[in-house]
Amino acid sequence: MDYIVETRELTKDFDGLKAVDRLNLKIKKGEVFGFLGPNGAGKTTSISMIVGLLLPSSGQILIDGVEIQKIKKGTIGVCPQDLVLWDHLTCMESLKLMGDMYEVPNNILKERANYLLKELFLLEKANTLTINLSGGMKRRLNLALALIHSPEIIVLDEPSEGLDPQSRRVLWNFIKSLRDEEGKTVILTTHLMDEADRLSDRIAIVDHGKLLRLDTPENLKKEIGEGDVVEILLNDPTENDNAVNVLKNMEEIESVIKINSLLDIRALDAVSKLPIIMKTLETHGFSVNDLSVRQNTLEDVFIELTGTRLRE
Amino acid sequence: MIKILSIAIKDSKELLRDKRSLFMILGFPLFFMLIFGFAFGGMGQENEIHNIALVNYDEGAIFPLNNEKINFGNNLTQVLNDVKYEDSEKHIFNIIKTNEDEANDLIKQRDVDALLIIPENFSQAMVNLINFNINSNGIMPINSNSVSSSNVTAELIIRGDSSFTDFGVSQAILVGIIGNYQDEIVNNIKKSVSGNSNNQTQYITTEIESVPGTESFTMFDFLAPGMMVFAILLLATTVAAGLTREVETGTLTRLKLSRMRSFDLLFGGLIPWSLIAAAQILILLLVAIMVGFHWQGGLNSILLAMFVGLIGGVASVALGMIIAAFAKNDRQATNMGTLITVPVSFLSGAFFQLPQVVIGNFMGNPFQIYDILPWTHTLYALRTVLIFGGNWNDISYQVGWMLILTSILFAISVFLFAKIRLRAEN
Repeated sequence: MDYIVETRELTKDFDGLKAVDRLNLKIKKGEVFGFLGPNGAGKTTSISMIVGLLLPSSGQILIDGVEIQKIKKGTIGVCPQDLVLWDHLTCMESLKLMGDMYEVPNNILKERANYLLKELFLLEKANTLTINLSGGMKRRLNLALALIHSPEIIVLDEPSEGLDPQSRRVLWNFIKSLRDEEGKTVILTTHLMDEADRLSDRIAIVDHGKLLRLDTPENLKKEIGEGDVVEILLNDPTENDNAVNVLKNMEEIESVIKINSLLDIRALDAVSKLPIIMKTLETHGFSVNDLSVRQNTLEDVFIELTGTRLRE
Repeated sequence: MIKILSIAIKDSKELLRDKRSLFMILGFPLFFMLIFGFAFGGMGQENEIHNIALVNYDEGAIFPLNNEKINFGNNLTQVLNDVKYEDSEKHIFNIIKTNEDEANDLIKQRDVDALLIIPENFSQAMVNLINFNINSNGIMPINSNSVSSSNVTAELIIRGDSSFTDFGVSQAILVGIIGNYQDEIVNNIKKSVSGNSNNQTQYITTEIESVPGTESFTMFDFLAPGMMVFAILLLATTVAAGLTREVETGTLTRLKLSRMRSFDLLFGGLIPWSLIAAAQILILLLVAIMVGFHWQGGLNSILLAMFVGLIGGVASVALGMIIAAFAKNDRQATNMGTLITVPVSFLSGAFFQLPQVVIGNFMGNPFQIYDILPWTHTLYALRTVLIFGGNWNDISYQVGWMLILTSILFAISVFLFAKIRLRAEN
């Protein structure tokens, strides 16, 4: 298998706090690799080490078989989580600056800048000062600056944070085109399940600096079983623990846990089992305030693995 | 080269487009210049006589060349009494000979601007200085036994009320004249010894010439080049804050991931900032002239001053880069910058003349402790071309030092910035 990024026992300690704990990853060339986890899970720290901005406390990072410290600069393009732009430069000037910094030949640079501006719907704003762009435009320029030199590996750290649905769709299509048309390897960190599910070929779920699972979105969902999720809000949420104790003895139910004020019940063909679930609850004196049924998602995988929802 | 140029263009555009910051960069020193101009320029202060109390404890010494008793203290007193403004019959000082107690009272009452105390061993120290110069130059070896002590030094004390403006002016003029007096004595004796040793009267005859350009010298003329150096030094704070902002906003991380080196970033940044320094000199000079600065020389002196300002600016930018290597945010950079640039302004003599602290001799020029700062040379060169109408030859020594010291500062800044800012963090 052709792995372009590999981490071996990667660990980062910050004054006794283990932000990343013996992380072992193998990222294939030409895939979109989702790095999924809540805020504070260690995603950005791991990414910072993988791109060479942060020294690991221990462990090893190999880029195409070469240690990170020895790779040619420009192999990796990074789109940071925050907007990192020069307010008083125009979009084109910003791209030209970064192109020069990566030693992109002038003729290629011009072509590439125009291509990126067009693909990210910024062509009309080419000569607009960054400070005058909307939030969505700034985020797209943020991405363009990471791609000006056509890096082999592209790291996108929470790229759709704060984007409106329209800009998010533009971004997702562009990320897919990076893989499908340019053959780039994309490492995508996100805490948006939908984003990870739609874009990633494989997903690593991390929390508290540890790798919990690494697989395709489909396999991850299968891992916790086929089925649906029933979410129930009781009239008296303080009774949730008692309700869990009652429901977990039912054969018809795969699992039940308490998430915040809700009961989260996973069951195959949940709709057909709703009457018996409701009856059981009523029999034991629990009054239902609200109820909803939805399909199994990645978030349910995360809940299964961590016992909590993604922390915002 | 493309990277350096690209950074230079980026910084120039950012500078010119951020009108508020540009206004602050150029306006702040300009405001100072105006205030100082109105406070210390023209306005009836020209050719002012400075009242100096003088206490002479000098006991005299045996002059080794003729074995006669000589008192350099009396001679210096006479010189100070006689010295006049250039092209004028007006004396610079009104010397009041008195004792120390009375002189202290006069200072407290502000009846005198300063008190000069000539120590008892002043003549002996002068004799030693003369001996040293004659012996070390092999002009006429003198038996050291003829001198009571070969390492006697004398300390002239200039005392006054440091909160009194006239004390600042008087002490600056006194320091200059006493320095000249010492040099002239030595030079005259060297000349007479190597030329005609029978002409013994020349040993003590000193002619203090008025300094060209001082015919209407005001405190502001002394301060204006200092203000220019202060403005140039303030660039260090601005540059430090700007670079630290690149760290804070993350743009430096973006650049750090690229193939840019520390040298590209800092050398590229030098270009627009040093041009700002040159422009500052021009603008400040124009404003200074408007508020009463007696500028000497023609267009040539302006161009020379701008060139000097440009090198001084490079030194300031390098200092700013060193600060930026350590500061954690732009507020800290501004604080650190102020903490460093203000004392450096004083140490380079921007606001008042500092006492002489010679630590060596280089190419026949005394090297003072303050001379390790490039801005000391910037100030000297600016005063030379702007106040005294000096030309390239008059400032080439200073420019040489500026170039050496600025190159060292820049090399340090590139090293520190690369080591602290452009490496992977721990």
